Amino acid sequence: MTLIEKRAWLTLWTMCPVYLVYFAIQVGWPDWPSGFLAKFGLLAAVAGLHAIGYIAGELAFRYRNREDGLQQDERDDAIDARATRAAYFVLISGTILAGAIMPFTDRGWKVANTALLFIVLSETLRAVLTVRGYRRPALAH
Amino acid sequence: MANEIRLLRFLAQDMTQAELGKRVGLTRQTIAAIEQERYSPSLEVAFRIAHVFGKRVDEVFHWSPPDGGPG
Repeated sequence: MTLIEKRAWLTLWTMCPVYLVYFAIQVGWPDWPSGFLAKFGLLAAVAGLHAIGYIAGELAFRYRNREDGLQQDERDDAIDARATRAAYFVLISGTILAGAIMPFTDRGWKVANTALLFIVLSETLRAVLTVRGYRRPALAH
Repeated sequence: MANEIRLLRFLAQDMTQAELGKRVGLTRQTIAAIEQERYSPSLEVAFRIAHVFGKRVDEVFHWSPPDGGPG
């Protein structure tokens, strides 16, 4: 498995569970926790958990990676470019919704969570397409 | 794209995928993907691979059109 594919799996395993819990709380118990600081604390805890998991995984990959030389080549670039292109459109859609439409209809945490949701969705899509790219036949750029 | 890389590696004193990758600027995983026909390399890489084995590109890679006509 290449380093790019390992990173994509790491993103899926570290990001999806914590943000799934976060958004489940936001949908199921929108008033919990109450107060800006408490809500911000929850978000910080989720983001921190994701960051710790990702950094730990990245360090483990670097420690265990015994292969010398090239880590990324034209195939990795092609797969990464395709996944990033698709994720970009999701991110742009979220930016338009949260930055250009919702400020006129909603406010506060709803706008922030929508932006966060689209960031998570775009990163998830990028990771899924990267993993899928290594399993399906592909052409160079 | 069908190719003879595995055979050519065997004939070249059992050259490893990692060694071939190093010589043409690809990772071992990409050489494996090319051999298994899961990845079609760029033209430049195809030329580089053929050059390593001292062959022409069409001696290493074989392409046939999807409609089954002559390649």
